[in-house]
Amino acid sequence: MLEVNHLRKSFGKTEVVKGVTFTVDKGEAFGLLGPNGAGKSTTISMICGLLPYDSGEIKVDGFSVKEHQMEIKRKIGVVPQDIALYPTMSAHDNLIFWGKMYGLSGKQVVKKANEVLEFVGLLDRGKDKIETFSGGMKRRINIGAALMHQPELLIMDEPTVGIDPQSRNHILETVKELNKQGMTIIYTSHYMEEVEFLCKRIGIIDHGEVIAVGTKDDLVKRLSGGTVVKMEVNHFQNRLVEELNTLPLVEKVMVNDDKTELEILVSSGHQALGELVSTAIKNFIEVSSIKVQEPNLETLFLQLTGRSLRD
Amino acid sequence: MKRIWAICSFEIKKTFNNRHAFITMLGLPLLFTLLFGQLLGGTSTLKVNIAFVDEDQTVISKNLHESLKDNDLFTLKEMSLEQAAKQVKDKKIIGLIQVKQGFEKAVVSNNQPKISFKHNPDFTSSSMVDQIISNAVSKAAIQAKASTVWNQYSKKPWEDMYTILNKDISSSDQIIHKVAITKNLKTEEMDNMSARSAGFSIMFVMIVMMSTTGVLLDARKTGVWYRLLSTPTARFQIICGYLLAFFLIGWIQFGLLIGSSTLLFGVHWGNLMGIFILVSALLICVIGLGLLISGFAKTTEQQGALGSIIITATCMLAGVFWPLDIVPNFMQKIAEFIPQTWAMKGFTELIARGGNVADIIAPVCVLLAFAATFLVVGMMRIRYE
Ligand SMILES: Nc1ncnc2c1ncn2[C@@H]1O[C@H](COP(=O)(O)OP(=O)(O)OP(=O)(O)O)[C@@H](O)[C@H]1O
Ligand SMILES: [Mg+2]
Repeated sequence: MLEVNHLRKSFGKTEVVKGVTFTVDKGEAFGLLGPNGAGKSTTISMICGLLPYDSGEIKVDGFSVKEHQMEIKRKIGVVPQDIALYPTMSAHDNLIFWGKMYGLSGKQVVKKANEVLEFVGLLDRGKDKIETFSGGMKRRINIGAALMHQPELLIMDEPTVGIDPQSRNHILETVKELNKQGMTIIYTSHYMEEVEFLCKRIGIIDHGEVIAVGTKDDLVKRLSGGTVVKMEVNHFQNRLVEELNTLPLVEKVMVNDDKTELEILVSSGHQALGELVSTAIKNFIEVSSIKVQEPNLETLFLQLTGRSLRD
Repeated sequence: MKRIWAICSFEIKKTFNNRHAFITMLGLPLLFTLLFGQLLGGTSTLKVNIAFVDEDQTVISKNLHESLKDNDLFTLKEMSLEQAAKQVKDKKIIGLIQVKQGFEKAVVSNNQPKISFKHNPDFTSSSMVDQIISNAVSKAAIQAKASTVWNQYSKKPWEDMYTILNKDISSSDQIIHKVAITKNLKTEEMDNMSARSAGFSIMFVMIVMMSTTGVLLDARKTGVWYRLLSTPTARFQIICGYLLAFFLIGWIQFGLLIGSSTLLFGVHWGNLMGIFILVSALLICVIGLGLLISGFAKTTEQQGALGSIIITATCMLAGVFWPLDIVPNFMQKIAEFIPQTWAMKGFTELIARGGNVADIIAPVCVLLAFAATFLVVGMMRIRYE
C-alpha cells in the first residue's frame, strides 16, 4: 500500500528527515513512534503530497506521489495534528464541506455525514458549532472529516494530543474498528501504549531517522537484555546519580523533574536491584519503592537514543 | 467547478452566519453616512430664494433670467432693487442678482459684464451661485458673439439671430447639455448625502473585505488550509473558490448598501449597468488589496491593524469623509494615486452627472490596473505549504 524509500527533506540548512524508509501493507495498522520534533509530521506531509521532498521516493499503491498527486489524495484521508475545522460552523456543515472537497455529491454527502457522526458518537451534537465542543469531541470530528470519502489509507498525526483518557479510549476503539473493517492505518504518536494497542508493526523515528522497525515483539527482542529499573526515593541528592553511574551494571541514570523517581537502565535488572538499593542507603537516601519494568518500546527507545520518549 | 462553488458557498454561509457581521456591513456605513451627510451641508435639495433685479431690460438680460431660472439651487424672483434690498434685510430672501444697465452692451462688446451677486453673509453656497451665474453669462456671451459675427455678414440686427440661436438651443437638450458639461465640470458634483453614501459604502466594503480575505490567514493557522490542500482539489480551484466568495460577499454588502441608502437617504445611484461595472471593478481592486495585505501579514491581528490604518488613511485622502475640494492642492494630487479616488470619480459621473458606461471607462480602467497589480503581488505571496 505504501512504500517510503530513503526520503529526505531539509528546511534551509537543517535536514529534518534523513533517509526515512518503511513500508506499510494493505489492511495493516502501522505505528510511527517518535518524540517531539522527530520529523513525523514532516514525513506525513510529504506522503500526502503537501510538501515536496528533496530526494527519495514515496509510492502509494504503486503510484509515485510526485506524479499522481490527485489520484493519491483521493485514496488518502489525513487527520492533521491540529484541529482543521471551521469553529463557527456546525459539525454537520463541516463534515459536508469536507465531503464535497473529496468529491462526494449532494445526496451522498448528507447521508455520509450522518454515518460519520454516528460512528464517532456525536450524532446528537451534529447541529452544534465546533467551537462549543470539548477538546475530545473536536478531535473526534477532526477524525470524522477524514473518513467522509472512505479512504483506503488513513493517516493520523497524533490524533489524541491534549485530551482526556475517556475521549482517548473512544478514539482508539474507533480506529481499531476502522482497521478491522479493512482500512490501512498509519498512526503517529509519542505515546507507546497507543501505538502498542493499535499497531502490529511499529517504526521508531528520532531526529529524522527510522532507528528500528518491526512488530512489538521483534523490537523488544532487540533489547540486549537491558531493563529499566524504576526507583522512587525521598530526599534526592545529585551525589546518588554519580555513585550509581560508577556501578558496572548501570548503563544510564535518568531523574524525573520533581526528583522523586529515577529511571536506571541496567544490563541485568534482577541482579542489579540489591546493588542499587545498597548504594542509595550508603548515601543516606531513603528508597520508597523499586521495581523492574517489563521490557517495552520505551526501554528500547531509551537504549537506542539514551533519551526518554517524552520529557 | 463543483468544488469551486462548494468552497465559495461555504465561505459565504460562514460569513453571514455571524450576526455581528451585519453591523460592520450595513449598520456602521449607514450611520457614518447619516452623520457626515448631515454635518457638511445637510440636504441640499432645499432651494433658497434669490431676487433677480433686471435694470438692463434687454434681450440678453431677459434671456439670462430664463436660463438662470432652471436650476436646483435657488428659485428666482424678479423685483426692483429697493424691494430686493428690503427683502434681503428682512431675511425673506438669501440674496440678489443685479443686472446693471449696459449689461447687454458689455456682453456684445466683450467687456466685463455688469452683473453682481450680493448675499447674506451666512449663505454658504454662494460660490455655487457664482458659478451658475458665470456659466449663464458666458453662454450668453458665446451666443451674442456668434450673433454679431452673423450680423456683420448679413447686415441684419444681431438680436434676430440671437433669438433664433436661443430657441434652437433650448429646444435641443443635447446641445445645452454639452455646453453645461464642458463649461462647468466643477459644479456637477454629488450632493453631500450621495457622496457620503458612495464614500462610506466604499470604505466599509474595504473594511469587511479585509476581514474576509483574512480567512486565508486564519485557515493557515487552524490547519484548515492544510486539510484543504490534502483533498483532491487543485490549487486553482481553491483560489477561484475563495476569490469568487470574496467577490460575491462584497457584492451582497454593496448591493444592500445601495438598496438601503436609496430607501433611507433618497440617493439615486444612476445607470445600473454603470454601477454594476464600477462596483465590480472596485471590488476586484479591494480584494486584491486584501490579498496583498494578508500576504504580508503574519497573523489576522497584524492584518487587521495594518488594514485599518491603510484603509482609514487612504479613505481620508480620497475624499470619502469630505469633498476633495476642501483639501489643499497637494493632497488632491496625492489622491490621484489612491483607488478610492477613482471609484469616487466613477460614482460622481454616474450619480451626479447622469453618466453611463462610456463615462466611467477611465475610472474603471484605473481601478482594474490597481487590481491587477494588487492581485499579482498578493497571489504570489500565497503559500501552499
Ligand atoms: N516549515 C518548517 N520550517 C522549518 N523547520 C520546520 C518546519 N516544519 C518543521 N520543521 C522542523 O522539523 C523538525 C521536525 O518537525 P515535525 O513537525 O515533523 O516533528 P514531529 O515529529 O511531528 O513532532 P511533534 O511530535 O512535536 O509533532 C522540527 O525540528 C521542526 O522544527
Ligand atoms: Mg507532529
